[in-house]
Amino acid sequence: MNFLNGVSLGMLLFLISIGLTIIFGVLGVLNFAHGSLYMLGAYFCFQAVSLYQNFWVAMILSPFIVAVVGGIIEMSLLRPVYGRDVSFQLLLTFGVLLVLDDAVRLIWGSGYHIVDPPEALNGIVHVYGFTYPVYSLFILFIGPLIGLGLWGFFRLTLWGKKIRAASMDREMAAGVGINVNRLFTGVFMFGAWLAGIGGTLAAPLRAIGPSMGEKIIIESFIVVVIGGLGSFPGAFVGAMVLGVINAYGAQYLPKATMALPYILLAIILLTKPRGLLSREA
Amino acid sequence: MGGVFSKKRALALWAAGLFLVLGLPFIINTYMTLLMTEIMIMGIFALSFNLLFGYTGLLSFGHAAFFGIGGYITAFLMIHDFPSMPLAILVGSLVATLAAVVVGYFSVKLDEIYFAILTLGFGMMFYTLAHQWRSVTGGSDGLTGLVLPSLGAGFLSVNISTPKSFYYVVACLFVFTVAILLRIVRSSFGLVLMSIRENKERTAFTGIDIRAYRLASFVISGLFAGMAGGLFAIFDRMASPSMLHWTASAEPVLMTVLGGAHVFLGPVVGAVIFFLVEYMITKFTDIWMIFLGAILIPLVIFFPEGVLGTILAKWGKKQHIKGEEGARGEHS
Amino acid sequence: MRGKRVFTLGLVWVALSVMIAVFSLGGVAHAKKPIKIGSVYILSGFAATYGKFAQNGLKLAVEEINKAGGVLGRPLKVTFEDSRAKPPVALRAFRKLVYEEKVDALIGLDSSGVALSVVPVLKELKTPLIITHAATPDVTGKKCNRYAFRVSANLSQNVQVAARIAAKTGAKKWTTIGPDYAFGHQTWEYFQKYLKAIDPKTSFMTTTAFPKIATEDYTPYITTIMNAKPDGVIISLWSGDLINFIRQAKKLGFFKGNFKVLMTLGAATEVLYALKDQMPTGIWVGTRYWFMANNSSVNKRFVKAYKRKYHVYPSYNAQNAYAAAYVLKAAIEKAGKVDKEAIVKALEGLKIEVPVGKIKIRAGDHQALLDVSWGKTAADPKYPIRILKPIVTFKGSEITPKVSETGCKK
Repeated sequence: MNFLNGVSLGMLLFLISIGLTIIFGVLGVLNFAHGSLYMLGAYFCFQAVSLYQNFWVAMILSPFIVAVVGGIIEMSLLRPVYGRDVSFQLLLTFGVLLVLDDAVRLIWGSGYHIVDPPEALNGIVHVYGFTYPVYSLFILFIGPLIGLGLWGFFRLTLWGKKIRAASMDREMAAGVGINVNRLFTGVFMFGAWLAGIGGTLAAPLRAIGPSMGEKIIIESFIVVVIGGLGSFPGAFVGAMVLGVINAYGAQYLPKATMALPYILLAIILLTKPRGLLSREA
Repeated sequence: MGGVFSKKRALALWAAGLFLVLGLPFIINTYMTLLMTEIMIMGIFALSFNLLFGYTGLLSFGHAAFFGIGGYITAFLMIHDFPSMPLAILVGSLVATLAAVVVGYFSVKLDEIYFAILTLGFGMMFYTLAHQWRSVTGGSDGLTGLVLPSLGAGFLSVNISTPKSFYYVVACLFVFTVAILLRIVRSSFGLVLMSIRENKERTAFTGIDIRAYRLASFVISGLFAGMAGGLFAIFDRMASPSMLHWTASAEPVLMTVLGGAHVFLGPVVGAVIFFLVEYMITKFTDIWMIFLGAILIPLVIFFPEGVLGTILAKWGKKQHIKGEEGARGEHS
Repeated sequence: MRGKRVFTLGLVWVALSVMIAVFSLGGVAHAKKPIKIGSVYILSGFAATYGKFAQNGLKLAVEEINKAGGVLGRPLKVTFEDSRAKPPVALRAFRKLVYEEKVDALIGLDSSGVALSVVPVLKELKTPLIITHAATPDVTGKKCNRYAFRVSANLSQNVQVAARIAAKTGAKKWTTIGPDYAFGHQTWEYFQKYLKAIDPKTSFMTTTAFPKIATEDYTPYITTIMNAKPDGVIISLWSGDLINFIRQAKKLGFFKGNFKVLMTLGAATEVLYALKDQMPTGIWVGTRYWFMANNSSVNKRFVKAYKRKYHVYPSYNAQNAYAAAYVLKAAIEKAGKVDKEAIVKALEGLKIEVPVGKIKIRAGDHQALLDVSWGKTAADPKYPIRILKPIVTFKGSEITPKVSETGCKK
């Protein structure tokens, strides 16, 4: 049961981290506000469910709105600072984090909100002698499905290839006629969309609160660094590693579990800084 | 960094600033005195951070580690009836310095983003240590019940727990920190740091050991961060894990960017702005960080030199023009 | 020219002095100057509803008191601050309230962790604090001090009742799930002490779960405890954490396990309203006040007024804050003046009837002696939330440790 828990935790983390790693790979920006976009996904899901009483509507609407927010952020705030020092981009996205984290408090209040899983997925099943929530199984399936879809997108479609080209060499891509500005906006929105999906899926699992973004961003950073900044399969590996550590750690090493991700982070950065699965440029 | 003002004017400004710092408690109320004390403590923290960021070009997102270590050690000693408060702060700073040596040794091997993430990771490692080691650090409750002794002896003893007297203790250390750090950045050591910031490769070609200089900067920075932490623990009468969290590391970053990373007093001005914005906005609503973010974003985009940096730059331009048009004599 | 300069300088000097004078003197003195109360609760995050409900209770009390003429002819005025469950934030709030707002008394505190940090500083702030929820026994025990009072049931009282109920269930091997801070750890510590004293045959497992406050995902802890196969589990999670936990635990079959479950703060209406019929039935839960536990006219009046104003039944947070206002009123009237030291003196030994019952604030440790009720959750079509049936009430004198046992030395 622990293993299932770990993997389903990992799936959510994976969805959020792909967005983060793609944005870094293509735009070169480490988006500090990515956790806040995930949080927005959860809040929009709550809002959509309150308005339409239908989780599936929320599944479609919520990530879409988060993508739009992402687009606005990229066009108005990020574009002016692309040429600059990496620290400035980090600081800028940190500023966005501050705004978004407080904005949700303004709009939805400072307390917690609850979203129930959709009727169809609200039950429990008995697997190998223990009880398991159907919704978590749903996450276990949908995670790899989305992952496969993305993999297909990047390998097989034209846009996917353009993005991979731009992430490997921005100047060449522009030279070949790819509209880099639009590509960047598109990629950022895509990453935001993924974060929104992550948030929407997470909403029924945990209470929705203003500190959701803060908590997950550090975990996402770790996942992305372990796997390799910009690496897609790396995000998957990193997310699984972290999910399983968290799940098993609580049982076997309760005191040390908290520190394990950071220790792992330090080891990777100091021995294989490009990550476990990175593609050396 | 020649300065926008003539030597005489600069000196006069420093003197006026000193006078203001020393005279403030007599014209403001108790709560403002406490606020100013906190501003000065965080000012020390931010100045120490900026030695690494503004002068050496390394963005550390885990600086609260040293702040927190200084705080915890000082609090631990004081709660266990350590006889001397100044010594407790000193020990706190020294332990923080040791930690800075270890963390710095590993971190300065990396650049830019990876440096930031690694320092963030180390910072969080210390956070989890403080949070989990309940028997020693008090866990998530932290160390509480700190009581301030009197300083001095006999008829010279002073009760430093009143807001006013503690303000002066902090003010002395603040002035001390400013003096020392100023000396450091204006020395040849400081020049080397700045050249490392500007162009690492070229500086390396002159035969300078980049890593050693970066490490030295890191360690000095850690020392003063630890001192600030010790003062803060005493100010708050407690040490708690939140002192070590990455959100605490973000505060000196914010303050420095607000005030200006390339001006010596930028971080201090940033600290003042940070706390005054919080003070004014929390009179109406609890939701004040959004304003900070709303100020930070345009600042980063349009005024990357920060508030003080931009003001001084504009002033400098005016002076420069005046100097050229006017008679010779005053050099800027 | 010279005269003009002197004149302008003089004018500026006068203006400055006037400004300073105005700022330092504050407002003009009124005959009906309000009595100021400073109140600090958790108003955001996992326990935001606790703070909100406490605010509601306090506001209701202040409204009633002011309508009836105030205290010593003066109205009460409350300023609220958010502690965010963080001790440094709470300390800053206390300092602001005492030094800037110049409050005459403080009411508040949800978190035991916050209480432990700020109570010692009360000695410097020299202002009385009436605690209405934070339950660590230390603030009226090892760390007791002149200015800290508590009108609510504390941890040792509540856990004493828990231990008695636990003993009756017959479960022998116990473990716990509690938040990783003073409250969670002390609940476990006191539970072991008290239960062992009642039934020496009980044993306590080394496998326990102490998730961090505001943990989002309890599943690893839930499976750990279920895999450990205990006979009984005592749960001290509260507010948003408890809500989260119950939702996740239900899905993993926790409440269908072969072990008894006790929740020390399960009967908080904040939790019951949030969960509605997702709250399992048949579980022994505790509370610091249950709106149906006594039929006194004081309680009936309170419940009716609260329900009419806020449309929900009052939680214990609401009652405790409400009671604190009346306790303060009684103390000020007993003292005859609004003076902090006099209020402190008047609070000691104060006897008053509040909705939870007749309470007495002991002079020795400033803890209120009051009755504590627990009950089994049950469904009732007349109520939108789970109610308690049966309800067991223990007398304060039976379950409160003697002052000499608390470790309080003032």
